[in-house]
Order: sequence, then C-alpha cells, then structure tokens
Amino acid sequence: MTLAYTPFIDAMSVHDYWYLLIVPMAFFLAVGYKAVRCPDMKKYPQSVLSFTVQILGLMLLLAIAFTIVIGYVLPMLAPMPV
Amino acid sequence: MSCGIQCHTLNTMSNPQHIDFNPLAGLVAVLFPGAGHLVLRRPKRAIFASAGVLGLFFFGLLIGGIDTIDSKDDRIWFYAQALVGPPTIIADQIHQKQFKAYDIGTGKLRTGFPEEKRDHDGTRPIWVPLTDVEIAAGMGPPNIPGLGRINEIAMLSVVLAGMLNLIVFLDALMPGPDATTSKQTNKPSTGGAE
Repeated sequence: MTLAYTPFIDAMSVHDYWYLLIVPMAFFLAVGYKAVRCPDMKKYPQSVLSFTVQILGLMLLLAIAFTIVIGYVLPMLAPMPV
Repeated sequence: MSCGIQCHTLNTMSNPQHIDFNPLAGLVAVLFPGAGHLVLRRPKRAIFASAGVLGLFFFGLLIGGIDTIDSKDDRIWFYAQALVGPPTIIADQIHQKQFKAYDIGTGKLRTGFPEEKRDHDGTRPIWVPLTDVEIAAGMGPPNIPGLGRINEIAMLSVVLAGMLNLIVFLDALMPGPDATTSKQTNKPSTGGAE
C-alpha cells in the first residue's frame, strides 16, 4: 500500500486553512435545518443564505470576543511574572 | 373586527397548532436521512434534509478520512455520529475491518503508524514494520489519519450531521402542519409539493 492521497480514506492536508472549513459546514447545516424548519419553501434559498450568514457572523463575533478576553483582559487581570 | 385582539387570542387558543404522530415516517427516517419526509409526501424537504445531513457527513469524511468515524478509539464522538444512522455504521465497519490491524505487542486493534504495513498472520490482520526499501518505495499503512484540528473539525462535522439528523427524524416522527398544505386548503390554486 503506497502513501498516495485517497479521498474519503486519507485526511486532507489543509492545516493552514482550517478556519475556512466552517463555511461549508455552516452551509450544509443551514441546508438541512431549513429543510425542516422553513415555513414556506418558496423562501427556502433566502432562509438558507440568511442562516449561513448568521452562523458565520456569530462565530466571527465569538472569535473576536475570545481574542479580546484571552489576549487583553486576562493578561490585565492576571499578569504573567517577567 | 369589533373584538380585535381578544377575538384573535381566543381563536388561537381554540385552534392550537396540530402535531401528528407518524411512526412509519419515523422508522423510515431512521433508515436513511430525509427518507421520512418522503413518506410524509414532502419530497422537496426530504431532498434538502438529506443533502444537509449527508453533506456534513461526507464533508467530514473528505477532510478527516475514514479515521473520522471510529467506534473503538473515539467512542463518545461515535455515539453522536451514530445518529446519522446506517451510513455511520457502515463507515465504521469498513474502518474497523479493512483499515485497522492488531498490534503484535499489545494485541490491541489500532490504526497503523507511518512505518508499518498491514499484513495477515493467517488468523487476523497485524501491523508489520516496513523495511528501508519499502519505506523508500513510499509504502505505508492503508490510510493516513487526520491529526490535530483537522481531525477535530472532521469529527465535529459528522457529529453535526448526526444532531441535524435527529432534528430531521423528530420532524418526520411528529410533523407539524405544512404551510403549503394549509394554503392549499384555503386557496387550491397556490402551492406545490414540499
């Protein structure tokens, strides 16, 4: 057995772009969730797009909030000894 | 019109949202993601629900490989992944039987290391160290497992597929009123199969 990459068998080498993997995940989640929760299927594409943007937006806000807490607030509250 | 909000409230209270119970749709939904909605004659919802669940499932497998689903080494994750149903069970069986082998030293079933190959000792598959010539030839175990964040994100994607499928299953088992169906009752000319 040689070590050539085989899709669905071997892991992809996307370590440098891991944060972009949330985009297709959020999209597929919205596709499935809105399939059962969208009251009117005529508005389905808009609700999928809207839900995807909401997930990505909230994740971005969470990332910003955690960056501020860990990078700025915690060092002020408990400074590391020099 | 004269009673306004009071009449609207009373009307809402006397006609609560009707929720059915459909065990057949629930059973079919367990067998394949989205299939329960076909039983409910909501083909569009069935296709999109299936696309969402299977999209997350195969996306996880694509980035993390077959090692994403592992009932032995990632048992807790597997419980949530198993909510997808037969696709997870099949993928796990393939992983355990076709890609893992026994460690000669410990006697445990495990994934191969980079400098090992899968062999058979007559009774069970085992891991055998590669020779320098085989390593130079680019040989290795049958799959390369994901590490670090990639492995976590891949497993999370399949877990999300399982949790989403739980919502789809519950919606098939206890379907609420369909917007199009109620519109069709009022206006027969509007709407279509959902």
